[in-house]
Amino acid sequence: MMDEIILTVAVLGGINAVLSVILVIAERFFANYGECTITINQDKTLKVTGGSSLLSALNSQKIFLPSACGGRGTCAYCKCKITEGAGTVLPTESALLSQQELQDRVRLACQVKVKSDLSIQISEALFQIKEFEAEVVLLKDLTYDIKLLRLHLLRPEEIHFTPGQYIQLQNKPYPKVREIVSRAYSIASPNDETKNIDLMIRLVPEGICTTWVHHHLQEGERVIFTGPMGNFYLREGTGEIIMVAGGSGMAPMVSLLSELARIKSQRKITYFFGAVSKKDLFYVEEMNRFEKEIPHFTFVPALSQPDPDDVWDGERGLITTPLDAYLKKMDTPKAQGYLCGSPGMLNACIKTMNNNGITSDRIFYDPFA
Amino acid sequence: MENVSPWVIFFAAIFTGNILLTYFLGMCSFLSVSKQIKTAVGLGVAVTFVLSMTSALNYLVYYRILVPLQLEYLRYIVFIVVIAATVQLLEMFIERYSEGLYINLGIFLPLITVNCAILGVSLFMVIRKYTFIQSVLFGTGSGLGWLLAILAMAGIRERLNEEKIPQPLRGPGITLIITGIMAMAFIGFSGIVQIQ
Amino acid sequence: MQTHFGPGRISKDGFLGEDSRHIHDIIQEDQRILSSLGWTSERIADRLQFFIDEGKKGLEGKVSVGKCIVCVRWDRGMVPCPFNEPGLHPKIVATVFSPAQKREIRYSQLSVHLIRRHSFFGGKGSVFRLEPKTVLEITDIRFESNERKSG
Repeated sequence: MMDEIILTVAVLGGINAVLSVILVIAERFFANYGECTITINQDKTLKVTGGSSLLSALNSQKIFLPSACGGRGTCAYCKCKITEGAGTVLPTESALLSQQELQDRVRLACQVKVKSDLSIQISEALFQIKEFEAEVVLLKDLTYDIKLLRLHLLRPEEIHFTPGQYIQLQNKPYPKVREIVSRAYSIASPNDETKNIDLMIRLVPEGICTTWVHHHLQEGERVIFTGPMGNFYLREGTGEIIMVAGGSGMAPMVSLLSELARIKSQRKITYFFGAVSKKDLFYVEEMNRFEKEIPHFTFVPALSQPDPDDVWDGERGLITTPLDAYLKKMDTPKAQGYLCGSPGMLNACIKTMNNNGITSDRIFYDPFA
Repeated sequence: MENVSPWVIFFAAIFTGNILLTYFLGMCSFLSVSKQIKTAVGLGVAVTFVLSMTSALNYLVYYRILVPLQLEYLRYIVFIVVIAATVQLLEMFIERYSEGLYINLGIFLPLITVNCAILGVSLFMVIRKYTFIQSVLFGTGSGLGWLLAILAMAGIRERLNEEKIPQPLRGPGITLIITGIMAMAFIGFSGIVQIQ
Repeated sequence: MQTHFGPGRISKDGFLGEDSRHIHDIIQEDQRILSSLGWTSERIADRLQFFIDEGKKGLEGKVSVGKCIVCVRWDRGMVPCPFNEPGLHPKIVATVFSPAQKREIRYSQLSVHLIRRHSFFGGKGSVFRLEPKTVLEITDIRFESNERKSG
């Protein structure tokens, strides 16, 4: 009896052992892609160990492509042109890339695995993007659903950005939410402030990152973000500047206005802030301060549905109403539009601007939606 | 099995004793992966590879290790382990050399491990007392028979995409009906070769 | 696939709420209720989309649509479909309030897609769960389509 048990165990164990050894050797052989060279813009070369995604391979070399979904293939932020070595297009990619993009060899960096040498093309601006560790020094309410988040930079200690750019903030896991995602928030502080940045974060229904900021993040905690990035910034010109931004969309405008104040811009600037009722207004004092500091700046808040007990003698109606009225009274051929906020509001205002002679090449915004 | 040419066994495994259409083994991945010809062929070839390898390996393990040591009763667990290891190897290979196929097959690649056709073929080989050559050709033939069935099904389903099928039958309903009709068609092959 | 429906993957609380049933069971049960009421997911999705489209015009303020008051907000960013389908959906949330019945429904643009393409109304207790019966009652589909027929 004992003999049989020992024999059975030995045979089964032996067969399992042999097969396991074969599998381990196979794994080493198959999953080993060796060292691969990534050539960027036909100029820089990186040596990375093959087997991981292009996105993480670049991250490991401190080159950060934008990503909101943490590499899961759902946000399409990490688009990148791969001229050589990419392999066949995966179904996860073809779902999010247009025909033209596929023809131009644009791929999703988080889905392409580095299996051999690659040659890619990315914007030079991406080299400026770094990963930062920062401490939360201030977390306060601006309105009932918007918080101001001030981060003090720890490593690196300084950030250099163009006013209007944004960063991607990573959340930390909290009860019921184990995934780490990153979300874009525009920098609200002036760019001569290099050791701290301000962010304005509005609570989004069912939002993973915004709920974390509003209900779980505490002052003193450390966070990670990457940046700066984005193509929203002040353009040269003599024409009038028309800003439209509501809610947390005010963030990049604050940064732009600080810049305009710093350079003592003589351009005429009008900022249309659309809100529903008085409880959505904030930073009014800061705007009044800017009106004093910038020679020709006017802040125009408009409430579309003030509450019955709101005392309000400012503009009323949807933001497109005072915007339209104003544009009709001015010369628009050289005017520039700067917008930030809800996609619905953006679409409506772009239409109003187009209708009044501000062509789309002079309207600027970050296309997040 | 004495006195039967391995090639007869091979031929029978594909047509008259088709593992899927005659014995109804290996249905689940057949029903799920037969939507596209490309993926179906990929899975069919993978299954054929696994069947050939495992019928050879299981024959050797059974007759060289289990039988001499009188441990035949361990055959279920040993066969399954050998099948699992073979599928694992295959998965590594496909992930490396054909990532598109790897993604398209999804979970059905590892599920080849528990495809009852695979274990079924190894057990048939033991029950029918096939020799080594007979076993290998039986395994390969069964795989090709399975490939033939899934390829035919995928071809039919791709054509059916354009057709109007009554709502209650869409998806699994019509697929099972087609499988039945295919099985009946294959009965037409019976009698070509006599094998148990 | 069931994991994408859980909390913290695509949305904070996920799509299943306290429902422990399998997704296909949830869909089947709601389909049964719908057919007993004589309506299809597609028509309900059309109706919900109509409220979103009208509500957008208010730029986050309240808009009167038929007998209801609709408030739609649109945040930046996109969400994927939990059914592992390709394609992204805008982050639009609509609240439709019926003053006559003193109750409201709240749903997202993704909900409309889930109802239209997958007949999925959300697990019981989930944030954007829509009871088919409630949707019909609040949005007054029956009434409106009768009006359209006679008009």
